[in-house]
Amino acid sequence: MEYRLDRNVHSLLDPRTKLLLLFTSSVFVVGNAGEKWMYVFYWILVYLPVLLLLAEKEWKAAAVAVAIYVGSFYAQMALQHDPTAWESALALMLYIITKILPTVILARYIVKTTKVSEFLAAMNRMHVTDKLTIPISVIFRFFPTVAEESRAINDAMRMRGIEMGAKKATEAVEYRMVPLIASCSIIGEELSAAAMTRGLDVGKKRSCIWKIRFRFPDLIIIVLCLTCFVWWGIGRFFI
Amino acid sequence: MKNDGRLNAKDLINVGIYTAICAVICCVVAMTGVIPIMMVLLVVFVPILTGIPYMMFLTKVRKFGMILILNVLMGALMWVTGMSYYALIVGTVSGLIAEFIYRAGSYRSKWCGIIAYAVSGIYCWANYFGIFFNAEAYFSTRQNFGQEYIDAVTGMLPVWMCPVLLAVDLICGVIGGWIGTKVLKKHFEKAGIA
Amino acid sequence: MICFDNVSFQYTKDQESLKGISLTIGEGDVVLVCGPSGCGKSTLIRCVNGLIPHFYEGNLTGSVTVNGTDVSQTTLRKISRHVGTVFQNPRSQFFNVDTTSELAFGCENFGLDPDEIEQRIDRVVNRHGLAPLMDRSIFRLSGGEKQKIACASIAVEPLDVIILDEPSANLDYQGICELQKMIGAWKEEHKTILIAEHRISYLFPYISRALLMNSGEIVKEYSADEFRALSEDELHGLGLRADHMQDSAEVIPDNGERRDTDEKLILSDMKFSYRGEEPVFDIPRMEIPAGEIVGIVGANGAGKSTFLRCLCGMERSCKATLKAGDEIRKNKKRRQSIYMVMQDVNHQLFTDSVLEEVMISQEKEDKEEALKILESLDLAEYADKHPLALSGGQKQRVAVASAVASGRDIILFDEPTSGLDYYHMMQVSEILKDLRKTGRTVIIVTHDVELIRNACTCVIPFK
Repeated sequence: MEYRLDRNVHSLLDPRTKLLLLFTSSVFVVGNAGEKWMYVFYWILVYLPVLLLLAEKEWKAAAVAVAIYVGSFYAQMALQHDPTAWESALALMLYIITKILPTVILARYIVKTTKVSEFLAAMNRMHVTDKLTIPISVIFRFFPTVAEESRAINDAMRMRGIEMGAKKATEAVEYRMVPLIASCSIIGEELSAAAMTRGLDVGKKRSCIWKIRFRFPDLIIIVLCLTCFVWWGIGRFFI
Repeated sequence: MKNDGRLNAKDLINVGIYTAICAVICCVVAMTGVIPIMMVLLVVFVPILTGIPYMMFLTKVRKFGMILILNVLMGALMWVTGMSYYALIVGTVSGLIAEFIYRAGSYRSKWCGIIAYAVSGIYCWANYFGIFFNAEAYFSTRQNFGQEYIDAVTGMLPVWMCPVLLAVDLICGVIGGWIGTKVLKKHFEKAGIA
Repeated sequence: MICFDNVSFQYTKDQESLKGISLTIGEGDVVLVCGPSGCGKSTLIRCVNGLIPHFYEGNLTGSVTVNGTDVSQTTLRKISRHVGTVFQNPRSQFFNVDTTSELAFGCENFGLDPDEIEQRIDRVVNRHGLAPLMDRSIFRLSGGEKQKIACASIAVEPLDVIILDEPSANLDYQGICELQKMIGAWKEEHKTILIAEHRISYLFPYISRALLMNSGEIVKEYSADEFRALSEDELHGLGLRADHMQDSAEVIPDNGERRDTDEKLILSDMKFSYRGEEPVFDIPRMEIPAGEIVGIVGANGAGKSTFLRCLCGMERSCKATLKAGDEIRKNKKRRQSIYMVMQDVNHQLFTDSVLEEVMISQEKEDKEEALKILESLDLAEYADKHPLALSGGQKQRVAVASAVASGRDIILFDEPTSGLDYYHMMQVSEILKDLRKTGRTVIIVTHDVELIRNACTCVIPFK
């Protein structure tokens, strides 16, 4: 069968919308702006990332996320009455998890569903400089590499039987960090060489094969985010 | 390669790579930050541990802007992963100052590098601003931990601790940077990759 | 057209260099640059794609012109509109995370019209049958698949010159066949092609001439016919690999080594699957002759490397038992008694000197003993050097030295000769034989036909 490139392939949301949502989520969920006044929006923003996971058909990830969230939420509620020092420490841990988890899931969703090429083009349309967008796209590209490398190094240490044998804590850190940085530095050098021989440069106009535009789901999310800020403003300055 | 002072793709890719490494290390350390005492110790461990990749990063810096971009990105990542936006603001300013310090050493001087690292790393300290400047609001949403816990944390962090933590952060930054240069010398320079 | 006019280059850090190269390559020529490792072939091609002087620092004299433009006077971006490069390491040459965007990357950087890019991608994908690889994450591709994508992404761009830097280093027989087809297609399109390589037989049908380099100079130039007429021994004498295109699964070792015992290692109940996926392999029982050099052969992606990881107990989820004589080794025991030399040796060297590296492997640190081991592997003079400062082959020997020091009786090698020239391949082969002489069992996963022939005493096909 003949292959035809489908340039309309896209995830549910436009990269710009995703970033707006991430921004909103870090202000209202992690930053807790508006507190009780934002009650309804808070819960929408907490569960929205799960809906996005469902839209990507990541049933299992969604279920696990909800389980962790609900579990730690109720556990920390239960621990709050007359806690001992340890219990309150545990409660704080769980509380921080409930704060951070939704945004982390959102961030993971964005990294997984946004193509580097798409991201560069969308940022370019918002006139964000290459000096930020190129490093950011490299970060996305590089997290899995760092994970891959450190796993290999860890395996090697286990195989050689020196993970416990390291005499001092400093050696344990040194043995992990040195090969990791050496290896990442070499990969980075080769990556730059390859990218530059393919014409990547700063401040030059690029095209993008993916069709980037706002669609209906974007509209809903953008309205939601703007409403959050407006409602917060009303609460803050008028009431 | 010609050095015309303009950042090219290679420089920006290097910034991305070292930001990723530093972020992974921060992330691993911050996981322990959910234990209350560790939260205070973040200003100790993060500057000491990220010193090694950061010093390696500085060997790649020969132009104005790379340190600043790394700091802005670290600040933004901290914000998104639930620290506070103070990290972004402080990180931007401290990154700029670090740029000037490292440039003053013509992008080569070892001690300028160490000090630039210590200064740029104070975004870590900025994460506590929420507790210092806005303690009431900070804990109003955390009431369910019981007064005892709040007292414990605020007891550990009275306002006068703010400059103390800054000092600790800077000192640990210098130590981390110094260790970084040692490791650089012991390993990467000896191996010929720095 | 590519012109070298008395070009010399010296890296600031590296040893390799070029000395007074003058050369003209006409349009549509397919030129092979060959020679032993470190002869300067990579440096030569870097002068054409502009990485020298725009990326690697060093001292360049003389001039290189591509299509009449002086490479050093223009920018890397402008050069890259005409010259494309496929690199050796498939892990580090992708900027994107998904394959489709990677194909478009070069064209996008030049701001080509998206409709035109779409047509170009469609053409390349259909021509080379790449449809199954589209829209995948590059972190989920095998080495061979990655190299295919790297070639295809160059093919999508409208270039006149294509450069390949040891493209076959990580490929198996199947992968090389695909690479060969790709090069054939480019030749038909009348592209100028420059290939640095020491595995050469797959290029025979296409080359128009071959340049032999040694220590930074072109020592001999062959016409295609002269080059094809070289005998196997002559090629070996030049440090080149002479493996005629052959599937490693069909190779029979012919080094005259004889087995003298009948002891066996019996591996049983080895099954492995990644979480929630189909099992990679399921081995109810496998007999591995003890004290031999055993080659495990099979196509890329059959799970050979994973098999080694399971064998040395690195994969916790894989429970298997290995019976050596009367002794039964479960995961933990195997981890302590089997040493694996990884394909990327960089991951398993930790300390700041070669001697230290050997000593941390010893049960009780014994400097005398460690030095003796280094001596036996020709590493004595490097005892104080940093392991990462050594060449690939030397690093591998350091890993072997630490394996010997650890006193383990089974040593595994994962693709120990990928990217090595003939001389270094033979060196590895000698080391394997020496290890066998000490009574150890050596197990290698490889698709290197010449290594199997030279070193292995038996072969186990892996499916």
